[in-house]
Amino acid sequence: MTIDSYRFLDFASRQVIKAWVSREAENTRPIPWAPMPRPLAECTIALVSTAGVARRDDTPFDEEGERRNPWWGDPTFRTIPLGSTESDVDLHHLHIERKYGRADLDVVLPMRRLGELAGEGVIGRPAETHYSIMGYQLRPVVLETETAPAIAQHMKLQGVDAAALVPA
Amino acid sequence: MGLVQRVLEAAGIPTVSLSMIPAFTRAAGVPRLAGISYPLSRPMGQPGDADGQRNVLRALLGVLASAAAPDTYVELPFQWPESPAQARKGEEIHPPIAQLLARKPWLLPRIYTGEIPDER
Repeated sequence: MTIDSYRFLDFASRQVIKAWVSREAENTRPIPWAPMPRPLAECTIALVSTAGVARRDDTPFDEEGERRNPWWGDPTFRTIPLGSTESDVDLHHLHIERKYGRADLDVVLPMRRLGELAGEGVIGRPAETHYSIMGYQLRPVVLETETAPAIAQHMKLQGVDAAALVPA
Repeated sequence: MGLVQRVLEAAGIPTVSLSMIPAFTRAAGVPRLAGISYPLSRPMGQPGDADGQRNVLRALLGVLASAAAPDTYVELPFQWPESPAQARKGEEIHPPIAQLLARKPWLLPRIYTGEIPDER
């Protein structure tokens, strides 16, 4: 690995992430694998953003809950219909600089870019629905046992062939 | 994010993650990973830089198509044009946990050890 994972982190975040990496390094769980069902150029692709993106006409991620208990982060997910733009959504992640994604949603959830790549023939088509979670999860039990399985089920019902996850 | 990726993959949906902290994401045990040396909050690139964002997304999806086995890790070749200090300049990020730990620094070890209170 030649990329310095800590280059852009401030000192405190660097220390915390290093501690988490050394804890995670002890896990020996097998890594799951699902083969691509068809060539990428024929696939329906969905995006998942961890930026806490929610449509303005949907329930926002619970920022107040996190302010009340800073150890907690909203573990639910939101669906984002293809074609939603900056004016249709807001970002609810208190650990990132939100001005970038608010100015240009494709910085965190590149639905327009995905459509352009479909036009180029790189993928088959963008899914009709994309997804967001809020990435601050110190104790990700609900995320792993409820939220992620629900996203998987939703993707299958929507005919998604493969997914790209974009952190924030 | 690595956790979500694992669950989706185990459910039969092939996945790839982008990561600005690839050491962390990889440690979670993910099937396909693309590392990128970009600052947090701007995973796809600068606002308004459609060409740059499209290049990152094309490379990310390329990993979906090319990976042959679990724990595939590819480093994307894109360089951020600013230093870390320049990239952070003017950012306003005030997570509640940082404010809590500034008031109660004796709680800090919990972040490291993962002893996280589970009540709302």
